[in-house]
Amino acid sequence: MTDPFRVPLIIRGEIIDDAEVEHGGRRGGVSFRAPDLSKHLAKLPLRTPSKMADLYALSFDEILDFLVELGTRLDFGQNRHVQEAFRLSCLTSGLSESILNSHYAHLGAMFDREEMRRMMERGCGIDYLEGWVDQGPSMFPGLRARTRAFGARCVHVIAGNAPIVSILTVIRNALTRSDAIIKLPSNDPLTAVALVRTMVEMAPDHPLSKHVSVAYWKGGDEAVEEAIYDPRGVEKIIAWGGFDSVKHVTRYLQPGIDLITQDPKLSGTIIGKEAFADEATLRSVAKRLALDVGAQNQEGCVSARVIYVESGTDEDGLARANRLGELAFAALQALPPHLSTPHKAFDSGLKEEIDAIRLQDDEYRVFGGRNNEGALIVSQEEYPVDFSRQLACRVGNIVPIDDVETAVRSVNAYTQTVGIFPETLKERLRDRLAFQGAQRIVSLGGAATMQHNMEKQDAIEPVRRMCKWVTEEIADGAMLEAIAG
Amino acid sequence: MSEYFEQLLADPTSFHSLPYDEGFRLSREQLEKLHLEGSRRRFAELRPRLSVLDKLAREQGIDGIDTVDDVAPLLFAHTVYKSYPISYLERSRFDKLTKWLGGLTTSDLSRVDATGVESIDDWIDLIEAKSDVMPSHTSGTTGKLSFVPRTKVQWRQTITHSAIILRDWWGRGTGPDILRDGMPIIIPGYRYGAAATQRGNSIQVDMYARGEENALFLYPDARFSADVASLAGRLRAAEARGEAGMLEIPPILLERREMLLELERRRPDDLRHFFSEAQRRFGGKDVYVTAMWAILYDWAEEGLKRGLKGIFGKNSVLLTGGGKKGKDLPEDWRERSLEFLGFDNIFEMYATSEMMGLCMMCERGNYHIPPVIVPFLLDPATGAPLPRKDGTTGRFAGLDLMPNTYWAGLITGDEITLSGWETPCSCGRTGPHVIPPVRRYSEKEGGDDRIVCAGAPEAHDRALEFLSELSM
Repeated sequence: MTDPFRVPLIIRGEIIDDAEVEHGGRRGGVSFRAPDLSKHLAKLPLRTPSKMADLYALSFDEILDFLVELGTRLDFGQNRHVQEAFRLSCLTSGLSESILNSHYAHLGAMFDREEMRRMMERGCGIDYLEGWVDQGPSMFPGLRARTRAFGARCVHVIAGNAPIVSILTVIRNALTRSDAIIKLPSNDPLTAVALVRTMVEMAPDHPLSKHVSVAYWKGGDEAVEEAIYDPRGVEKIIAWGGFDSVKHVTRYLQPGIDLITQDPKLSGTIIGKEAFADEATLRSVAKRLALDVGAQNQEGCVSARVIYVESGTDEDGLARANRLGELAFAALQALPPHLSTPHKAFDSGLKEEIDAIRLQDDEYRVFGGRNNEGALIVSQEEYPVDFSRQLACRVGNIVPIDDVETAVRSVNAYTQTVGIFPETLKERLRDRLAFQGAQRIVSLGGAATMQHNMEKQDAIEPVRRMCKWVTEEIADGAMLEAIAG
Repeated sequence: MSEYFEQLLADPTSFHSLPYDEGFRLSREQLEKLHLEGSRRRFAELRPRLSVLDKLAREQGIDGIDTVDDVAPLLFAHTVYKSYPISYLERSRFDKLTKWLGGLTTSDLSRVDATGVESIDDWIDLIEAKSDVMPSHTSGTTGKLSFVPRTKVQWRQTITHSAIILRDWWGRGTGPDILRDGMPIIIPGYRYGAAATQRGNSIQVDMYARGEENALFLYPDARFSADVASLAGRLRAAEARGEAGMLEIPPILLERREMLLELERRRPDDLRHFFSEAQRRFGGKDVYVTAMWAILYDWAEEGLKRGLKGIFGKNSVLLTGGGKKGKDLPEDWRERSLEFLGFDNIFEMYATSEMMGLCMMCERGNYHIPPVIVPFLLDPATGAPLPRKDGTTGRFAGLDLMPNTYWAGLITGDEITLSGWETPCSCGRTGPHVIPPVRRYSEKEGGDDRIVCAGAPEAHDRALEFLSELSM
């Protein structure tokens, strides 16, 4: 790399960009330079809780004003920090340039005033963020209570699979009046930097700029993590990502630190027999299925991987499932480039698996999968491929079943989204899927293209959990005195 | 020389018993002729009888081999020998597994009726009883075992071949002639089992030791179970993902749990017995020892702790390989191992379970590819064959011409550097050789949940431990 990337350290409005340390050989063969965090470590945690007070001089509308303004400044054509983040992501991300272009061109759209307001209204209730809310009567006559949602001092260990993760982190931090230390991911270290740097340039002394820091360190670096994951400076850790990233964090858990995990999840699909009503319906289902598998190049946890299809498993049933595989593969190839493209770094281990099962006609039918174009693998029995956990790079596995019960039983706590066709089947199955562990149940085609209720994420309401729900109780003095006898 | 070469051309399988040193005096032209004609011959013979090879050839649009590079697209991904659905094992559909294996060998499996078979071990035994195949298994990612359909005849050839190598590697007749004179065998591992490392045990007892009384195993009665190995792999993969609690234990293992645990309990006794017998029956004698380095080192350390050193005769031989493979060994692991053994006639190899040929390490530290293995270096990104040019690095693949009942053309997961095409190795042997180190691509790409040979017994132990911890 002739032009190495620089990842600055930003601590509460102060930008440190001396690029002293090289972090080499990350994904895509990219290395970048960042400041020596150990020299600045002491400044990173907010050891004085009273310094949160400045956030409470802002009204919710003033915070929205700030974020909306920030959104306008993230214009891809103008903002060189955003351009730099895009340039690096093109090298490190699993998303192709055309898809990333679409993401970065629309960064500002996420800062929509009404959407942010609705999100917080649903997630916390704006009145709780703005003040003390009366809790109504209690079992003790004369006892009243008021509750308010306060921000917390948080470390966000974020994922780098898509820029939305950085955006959500910054927005949620500001709207809950929290203080964030964002640990940058090696596969996208610059998007969060671009956001925070733009905040600092926009209003260096604004409380919202002063309550967000970004830093890169290698996950598991004990010298850094021991200093940061300390209940004197941090109340909550929001950890995205794989088992390893969470495992690093759990070593430091102790009373006083709350861990919110955004675990890795996998998503799937259930397609009812109605899909085979006629050719037109099947084609429509195939197109929608291609979206769930292919959108965002299957890089998201929302992306479909194993697809249960109520086609039946007799000869006719298999023919139906194979036909769906053929059509869905064709539809996958036809997806527009801003949504999906052949994967630029197709997983070689996955390719070896596909190469081997392609030779097993009795068990699998493979559409595509010769190079990096993606594939639909149709199992010829009602079992997913053995490497279903490895499905990626636009490879879906259609599993023919006789009864949707098989599909329901496959859902577990690691399942995030389930895309379903038709709607009647979705309504029929939704409670049971929830019992099994599913967290988001969508119309087929809507898994990875759009999302409502983003704050509910993984059914754990991270926004709500980022807050501290503080209660003030009010009781009559004479009544209390009477208890003392 | 010419007669030797003509014999190889006429029947590459005969290489297993021909003088080994001759194989490294062939000219480049001879090698290229052998590689091209041998590949043509194997492809022509096997394609009509191996449905899987036929399918691959059709997929790749290859009907004949004009140049040796035409073989590259016909090499199997290493996943082919484990391309059965794991649900076959989970549902005890060993009939289907038999059919699957049948697509990979020309041997007749029609007399194998696997209905009602419930465990992998039983299935392997049944195949062995009802056909000429003696399947061996490896351990793989996510606990999926590869099964290689080598025949009984081929296993005997393999064991013969090893003995010929020991005799001739450092020069014709420089080593012990085990086939002629016999030799006691010492193996610090399981006596029974179908894993590649145990598969030849009985034949070695027969051909080398000429009877159990001349053989010593660490676990003389125990079997390295394919079912436990399979569980071990799945356990390891599940633990890596933090999902061990989700693992379903095959019912057959639960049924046999007590038996397996008994084996566990007897371990300390087995170890004591092994050392005392090694000393009592074989102390000072010339013996044949075989084990992967990492296992050997553990054994040596245990022996040294007991005050044992230099226990075997000076003309003993050790057949080994595998390097340190993922184990954290001290600097002087090699010296420690030899100090315990008491001899230094070491034969180190680089090999893969699907091939019969071994690549032996020379005095220069290079591994020499035998002439019957047609080696390829593939571009790791595109899979295209790289030119036969000294010092080229790529993904190692090869077609072993010795097996004539299954397609031993395989793409490994190893990154290697090959030389010897233009300039022979300074040891004097001709033909291609591997310049270490051998690295796994999966390690390069970060993380590797594959169980390597050297790690397999440990994983096996871990699985037994897991079984013992299960509350019943």
